[in-house]
Amino acid sequence: MKTETNCKILCTHISKEFIQKSSQRVNVIDDISLDVRSNEFVVILGPGQSGKSTLLRIIAGLETPTSGRVALDGKDVSGPGSDRGLVFQSYMLFPWKTVTGNVELGPKLRGVGKKERREIAQHYIDLVGLNGFEKHYPHQLSGGMKQRVGIARAYANNPTVMLLDEPFGQLDAQTRYFMEKETARIWETDKRTVLFVTNNIDEAIYLGDRIVTLKGKLPGRMHEVYDVKLPRPREHTDMKFLELRQQITDASELVL
Amino acid sequence: MNSIANEVQAQIKERSPLSIWRILKNRWFLHAVSTIAFFIIWEYVARNRFLGSALARPYEVLLQLADMMVNPIAGKGLLGHIWASSQRILIGFAIGAVLATPLGLFMALNRYVNAIVKPVFDLIKPMPPIAWVSIAILWFGIGEPSKIFIIVVGTFVPCLLNAYNGVRLIEPQLYDVVRMLGGNRRDEILHVCFPAAFPAIFAGLQISLSCAWTCVLAAELVSARSGLGFIILLGMTQSKPALIVGGMVVIAMVAWLTTLLVTGLEKVLCPWKREIQTA
Repeated sequence: MKTETNCKILCTHISKEFIQKSSQRVNVIDDISLDVRSNEFVVILGPGQSGKSTLLRIIAGLETPTSGRVALDGKDVSGPGSDRGLVFQSYMLFPWKTVTGNVELGPKLRGVGKKERREIAQHYIDLVGLNGFEKHYPHQLSGGMKQRVGIARAYANNPTVMLLDEPFGQLDAQTRYFMEKETARIWETDKRTVLFVTNNIDEAIYLGDRIVTLKGKLPGRMHEVYDVKLPRPREHTDMKFLELRQQITDASELVL
Repeated sequence: MNSIANEVQAQIKERSPLSIWRILKNRWFLHAVSTIAFFIIWEYVARNRFLGSALARPYEVLLQLADMMVNPIAGKGLLGHIWASSQRILIGFAIGAVLATPLGLFMALNRYVNAIVKPVFDLIKPMPPIAWVSIAILWFGIGEPSKIFIIVVGTFVPCLLNAYNGVRLIEPQLYDVVRMLGGNRRDEILHVCFPAAFPAIFAGLQISLSCAWTCVLAAELVSARSGLGFIILLGMTQSKPALIVGGMVVIAMVAWLTTLLVTGLEKVLCPWKREIQTA
């Protein structure tokens, strides 16, 4: 039914081996195939050490797979590029740049004029709810606010694909829940193809159109794919939500 | 947006009522106590001649310094001698920093430059700069160039090391950010390497500056007709303890002022640096 052309991201038989210092080979990802449709929100759910971050970095072009290929809009990915935006688990904001400075970096690197890139930055700062904090430096912000900057920075470069690598992993439970709601809101305001990596099953069901689970322990292998057909905005206490949660828990090795 | 509110942490400073205990624990009070105690012990030791006549009393030192402001020694007043030493430091420090910082950055950014320069640098690195005094005099004579040369050598090592390490210790994922946003190697250097290494470079300048003072002193003690090292040496040969201690105090003050200047400059140039409260 799905052909290569209506796929935004197509990963075919990706494997990745790292060679460690002791020249030992560590197999991190083993034969993962994945396709993501345009404007689809796909969550990769797996426990720690399941190679999910590596998979995301391969799609980002920051790592090259040992075998298999990644295609974006039918073209092979050969390196990082501004058509994909990456949000890091540990924020990776530039401490020497203000919120605006961080957010406008993408357009700046592309040679967009100052006035225009300020407008772009302001638009996305407003979108993530950080207006009033434009001149703050990252160290003056809380964890949740830092990640808002991270999201705005990725968005401001106008990528067609957003890659989020456990973006809320460092936040406390309450802020995390709140940021999930915000992510859903931002995504519905400004739709992009999203690949979201997490180890949190509630986060996965709350956000995803589709959930891909990985097996625990290296090497990471595909386990199951779930379609989440719940209407948005979703409720964590909804019966269907809980049923799906149970189904995923039962099927996977996730301990929750 | 009100959505932010729950993430902003309010800082409330508690104020406890004034009490003797609170005054005793006050930082400034303790600073004052230790400073006054220092001068009392100094005065006591000097007055009772525990160290013979070799230690001048604080008041004598002050008197000596005031005297030097009016009556020049070796053709220069106190300010003239301060300027003589400072001038040597400024020239030597500037040359050392200008040579070493870019070289350190190049070494960190390019592994070929690193492979070429590192062995030679590692050879020179552990040599104390003062070990260069004799050879500098042989090469450049006893004039200004030999003194400046020693300062250049002394400032070179910390400047280079800090610039180098400043770049080497950058979080590698910051480069990934630039690459993901479509930047090239030039953008990585411009937007990551330079700003990230800036605080480390400044730390190097700080260390270099105090190292420069050690160097200028050593050079002036060996051969000079001016400068604060010369004043100290003169105090020794004329057995005037007040002159020696006076010279030391002035060096401490000038060095402290220059450090303050560099720190102030860093605060202006690196506004993102979190202020570290010194205890």
